[in-house]
Amino acid sequence: MTSARTVSRLSRILALIPYVLGQEVADVDDLLQRFDYTRDQLTRDLNTVFVCGLPGYGPGDLMEAYIDENDVIIDAADYFTNAPRLSPTEALGLLAAGMTVIGMGEASPALESAVSKLAKAAIPDAGSALTVDLLDESKNVTKLRRAAADHNVVHITYRSVGKEETTERDIEPWTVFATLGRWYVLGYCRLAEDERTFRVDRIRDLTTLEEVFSPPNRIPEPMVGYTASADDVVCEIDLYPNAYWVLEYYPVDVVSQTDEKTRIRFSAPDPEVPARLLLRLGEHARLVRGDDIAARVKQLGQSLLRTYQ
Amino acid sequence: MQSVVERVLNLLIYLLESPRPVTADEIRTTVLGYDSKSDDAFHRMFERDKDVLRRLGVPLKMEALDAWEIDYGYTVDPEEYAIPDPGLTQEERVALSLAARMVRLGGSHAGLDALIKLGGIERSAGLEPIGADLGAEAETLGSLFSAITDRRVVTFAYRSSRRRLEPYGMAHRRGHWYVVGRTSDGQRLYRIDRIESLELGEDPSAFEKPKGFDVRTVMDTHPWETGGEEEVEAKVRFDSDVAWWAARTLRVPEPKGDLTTTVPVANRDAFVGWILSFGESAEVLTPAELREEIRSRVAAALEGVG
Repeated sequence: MTSARTVSRLSRILALIPYVLGQEVADVDDLLQRFDYTRDQLTRDLNTVFVCGLPGYGPGDLMEAYIDENDVIIDAADYFTNAPRLSPTEALGLLAAGMTVIGMGEASPALESAVSKLAKAAIPDAGSALTVDLLDESKNVTKLRRAAADHNVVHITYRSVGKEETTERDIEPWTVFATLGRWYVLGYCRLAEDERTFRVDRIRDLTTLEEVFSPPNRIPEPMVGYTASADDVVCEIDLYPNAYWVLEYYPVDVVSQTDEKTRIRFSAPDPEVPARLLLRLGEHARLVRGDDIAARVKQLGQSLLRTYQ
Repeated sequence: MQSVVERVLNLLIYLLESPRPVTADEIRTTVLGYDSKSDDAFHRMFERDKDVLRRLGVPLKMEALDAWEIDYGYTVDPEEYAIPDPGLTQEERVALSLAARMVRLGGSHAGLDALIKLGGIERSAGLEPIGADLGAEAETLGSLFSAITDRRVVTFAYRSSRRRLEPYGMAHRRGHWYVVGRTSDGQRLYRIDRIESLELGEDPSAFEKPKGFDVRTVMDTHPWETGGEEEVEAKVRFDSDVAWWAARTLRVPEPKGDLTTTVPVANRDAFVGWILSFGESAEVLTPAELREEIRSRVAAALEGVG
């Protein structure tokens, strides 16, 4: 298997040659930026081009490629007047990137027209065949990005994921990112007095404050995922097939598995989370171990039975 | 020592410049880098290089060289090879460059690779770039996308059985990529990260996509809206501490205090589950049959904890 590096190196060469052929003057610095090259990489690729050409491979058969002061010269390469077509992955990658930004609701008209031109080139009815959406019903992503760029402290009303409770806090937003279909903001939380990651869709209200914070020298790599803590409540639950979606939805450990059921270990900072889950699963799950949670299920369940008398 | 990059460049030049299809033997004796290899070594190397050409987006074709279809040759049509000019303005190129820098596809920068082929990445000012990764394996996404654009039938393994699908469209929603299309059992939706050993059919234009199909309508639904059951209208009240959250999910205006609203339900099971995830903070007011379903679900859960 040829490595992806070889393929991407070739891809860049096949794009570089037609571009240079189409320019009156091809400035080295412009090429470095435009093709995401370091100077060494560019020199190496030009040296490769220089030894390739038509069969015979004599001096008159090879392409010319070299750097002359600040210009790149390529000649005798008429067969490479055009770059190759986009591969399906490339076409999809560019369309999806454009659609993602449009979906954030802050796209320029230029991006919208660019995406529609690309879509038309890829497939006559691309608009109805492809959709990419990182939902941001809260419309808070834009505000948070701006605050992160300007280093403004923000005040948020936040509904925490693990505890089903609403709190107000000031945070220093460092970076905003999306993964697994959700937006997150990573920053310093003044309430927790520590670094925290918040789900943007769980921010109810957001106010950008005048106060400016100084960001850390290095922003840590964003990480999403639940790390169990020593204070967590832990329980074991048997899931029956109709409840197997839980395995993908929650960060659980599988203890054992048979054809009829899967036993999981579930940790959460608050018994409320597994208790509500057990209620919604009904007959499709059974609590095996976890007294605190059994107590909470009973309390909550009986209260619901009274409501629904 | 000649590198793979040099050999593939020479091969591509030879294919683009040959006025007629050329056989593997001709390639072996003509193109620099293939000579003095054993038969086996040559064939392995040639297979790998053909794969590289395909991944680069080069339309490599095989054609019969005689009327009896005994000998085959390889060819690349220069017209087909050339990327069509989408006619992007400078402003549009800048906007795309910014978007492609922000969004990755399963860790790969496929969007930037595309821009490079379209003439390079433009310098762009703007807010500090943020990162978004659309997950899933980029190669599988690309193959499915080409099956949709070419209208090829696909087959794949899904939850340990083999499926056959006429793919109509794909979507990224809530962190996952989905492909939508028709199977012998009607329209179906599959999560792409669960698809294994995907194969594309030989023939393009193998099916017709229904007029008016729009993947957005398929995706823009809540689980309780699609279940094929007779639709009932549920009246629900959400307490003020969760009302804003429910309003966002239901796409209704966010209220100041609590929220009472009606929800069309075509999948009672999914709806009851969603309501119970609010604990005591939500109550279905009508109809009685849904209240009864919640009651029996809760009763079953109470039995489960003993």
